[in-house]
Amino acid sequence: MTKEVGIKDISKPSKQLIKLRLEDLMKLPPPYDKPGEEPPLTEPKEEWRERYITELDGYIAIDIPFDKPKNKDEEQRLVQRFLEGLKKLLDKENNWTFLQPLLLSLEYCAKCQTCNEACPIYLASGRKEIYRPTYRSEVLRRIWKKYLTPAGKIFGKFVSGDIELNWYTIARLAELAYRCTLCRRCTQVCPIGVDNGLIAHEIRKLFSQEMGVAPKPLHELGTVQQLKVGSSTALTPEGFKDIIEFIEDDIKERTGKNIKIPVDEKGADILLIHNAGEYLSWPENPAAFAIIFEEAGISWTLSSELVGYDAVNYGVWYDDVQLARIAMKHVEVARKLDVNRIVVGECGHAHKALCVVADRILVDEYNIPRESCMPILWDIVRKKKLNLDPEKNNFPVTLHDPCNMVRLMGIVEPQRKILREICPQFREMEPHGVYNYCCGGGSGFAIMTSMNFPEWRNKVATRMKFKQILTAFQDCIDPSIKKYVCAPCSNCKGAIRDMLDHYQATMKCGIYYGGLVELIVNAMVDIEEPFIEMF
Amino acid sequence: MLNALQISSYVSFAIFVIVVLWKFIKYATMPIHLRWELYPVPHEPEHEHGGSFFEYQNIWKLERKHDKMNELKEMLEEMLFIKRMFQNKRDLWVVSWPFHAGIYLILVWMALLFVRALLVLAGVQSLLPIADALIMITGAIGVIAATLGCLGLLAKRVGSWELREYSAGVEVFNLLFALVVLLTGLFAWIKFDPNFDIAKEYMLSLVSFGSYPMPPLPKPILIHLILLELLFVYIPFTKLAHYIGKYYTFHKVLWEDEINKPGSEVEKKVRRCLQFRVGWSAPHFAGRTWAEEAINPKLDVIERWKP
Repeated sequence: MTKEVGIKDISKPSKQLIKLRLEDLMKLPPPYDKPGEEPPLTEPKEEWRERYITELDGYIAIDIPFDKPKNKDEEQRLVQRFLEGLKKLLDKENNWTFLQPLLLSLEYCAKCQTCNEACPIYLASGRKEIYRPTYRSEVLRRIWKKYLTPAGKIFGKFVSGDIELNWYTIARLAELAYRCTLCRRCTQVCPIGVDNGLIAHEIRKLFSQEMGVAPKPLHELGTVQQLKVGSSTALTPEGFKDIIEFIEDDIKERTGKNIKIPVDEKGADILLIHNAGEYLSWPENPAAFAIIFEEAGISWTLSSELVGYDAVNYGVWYDDVQLARIAMKHVEVARKLDVNRIVVGECGHAHKALCVVADRILVDEYNIPRESCMPILWDIVRKKKLNLDPEKNNFPVTLHDPCNMVRLMGIVEPQRKILREICPQFREMEPHGVYNYCCGGGSGFAIMTSMNFPEWRNKVATRMKFKQILTAFQDCIDPSIKKYVCAPCSNCKGAIRDMLDHYQATMKCGIYYGGLVELIVNAMVDIEEPFIEMF
Repeated sequence: MLNALQISSYVSFAIFVIVVLWKFIKYATMPIHLRWELYPVPHEPEHEHGGSFFEYQNIWKLERKHDKMNELKEMLEEMLFIKRMFQNKRDLWVVSWPFHAGIYLILVWMALLFVRALLVLAGVQSLLPIADALIMITGAIGVIAATLGCLGLLAKRVGSWELREYSAGVEVFNLLFALVVLLTGLFAWIKFDPNFDIAKEYMLSLVSFGSYPMPPLPKPILIHLILLELLFVYIPFTKLAHYIGKYYTFHKVLWEDEINKPGSEVEKKVRRCLQFRVGWSAPHFAGRTWAEEAINPKLDVIERWKP
């Protein structure tokens, strides 16, 4: 058998390494099993081809204009910069953060390809070679061996395999690092524990930390903006306070409850940090938290200080130093407020960044306890601190497991126990829990909306999740039956929102989405009007 | 008096042990890395559903409990049966498992030869029949299984596009080398040493440092022995020694979930790493230590990506 694209093709001059075709993509369940039910694929615009990297698959994740080398000298300079970055990835001072896991994954992959069938992107694309989890890893591995190891220099391609490092390789590899959601399902099945997701993560770091190259929504408009103005959404402390007032008014209007949301209250038990995207796109989520925490008598506060009101930490996807900088700001805010612990709201990557990955960055006075909102919510429901009537949630509900919170943190049951308690028609997706599929918005994809990247996300990255959702609701797929996908994560919600919009699934299938706390408040007996609006 | 062949046997074994140890030490002495665990983590009491201590409140005050038995079970299932490949890549497992299981049996066979030699030196004759029987079983099954598995792996590596395309020449060579050693061993066993008597005597001569004479070796056995010694020297330098990587990936990355508690060893290690200098060249760094870079960010960005 021969395939259209092999490893060494990454360095071959061509307009585009592969081209996606709708008919090759993974088939979807009814009603999307018929032709014409989903929008077609589009071609990249010609002007994009001149300014950005379309040489991989025609889609653009890195939305910084790229001046392609005009001569051999410029190309050689690019190659040298790349190799400098690669050396730093393998250096203990520059990459102490992930040196050991990276080197293990570079050195010991047996190329058995056991991981492939675990990858939702590879499967959804119709098994396009470049999306195979081992493809980008093998490209990087070959470059490392050929150019940086004594064995590669002595024995050549006998040990390194065939690869050439030129600007095509570098440019395509930069884009290819953003064709993996870092969900790490592939690592779960690897007999050796090799982590192809980590390799994608490290390639992103190489480009960001050595060359300053990363998608703008992650870097310039993400971590940099967050550190400068307080939030990756550009929400300022003043804007945040205005929104809190709006949310208080909205709670009053929708529930009749007079709730004063605590902001900057020193000495509270909990500093609750939400993804600031919630305040702008889904204010009902922080509103629901406020209602629940106040009714349950929790000692808590929000922060209006710079970065303190935005839990996101995009650094976890592409840049370790940016990760450290934001994590430091989060704990600094908590320290000033003298809280006992930081609790992260419904945001998966913020959970992982602050509770897990940054755990080994924070020392001394910065080492403040950090945990998830999920066990607290379950505790409130379990101890019946709220008067809940499950009948108010008597519609089909399924649960999406955010990878960062579930597979990468092991928070599996609290959210399920809540749903079993308050949603009579709760049903699981398959597979679920730690074996779930990514929403397709992971690792920054949900917020990367430049040019045609959303099309790739909707067609390829979220396709498996869409299939899962449709399958979970096949018994009630008629649009007249309102259904709810519970996604307790802001980025997942963003990806699911765009997916439902792209496939017009709310209109065609009656599928809605939202968080977990909204369902809890929706079940509260003393709130007369439905808190969740499905119309 | 030891001859050149016996000395080379000691040397090859010593090189094997030293290089494997060096590789273990290389990984063991790397800086502590950021936490990167992946669930299910088998030592978690809630491992049945893939849960962790994060499912509870006030985790910093909780006394962590570890299900060491389950971790051992998971580890043995993976080591002995290659569970993940069995579940996810059955067509490769049917050749990979016999190869690995055969190698394990051959290693047990070697260990038994060693123990038998000690028994002879200690004059414990009564246990020799049991040792001989076990040597026969492990040696025979081991070499047959490993040879068949190796043949199958080689066929897959060369015949399957997805394996061949991703393999460098050395990966095929590794299997070929192992196959040649196994085939010469198989031939030597069947044709010249069906009861492993020569193997036993040779091991005795090694264990006794030459007090017991080395048996006369037919040429095929001599060739096999030399190749086996070369393989021993070769393995630790190659990916054939992936057991080293497997130990670290599972125990020190995927299942490593130790919390950085104030005053802990972890915190001390992290504090040291934060004093490393950030040597990355992107415009948002100023060449200071990790701690300084984290506390006082420089936030320059590039407008265009230029070569």
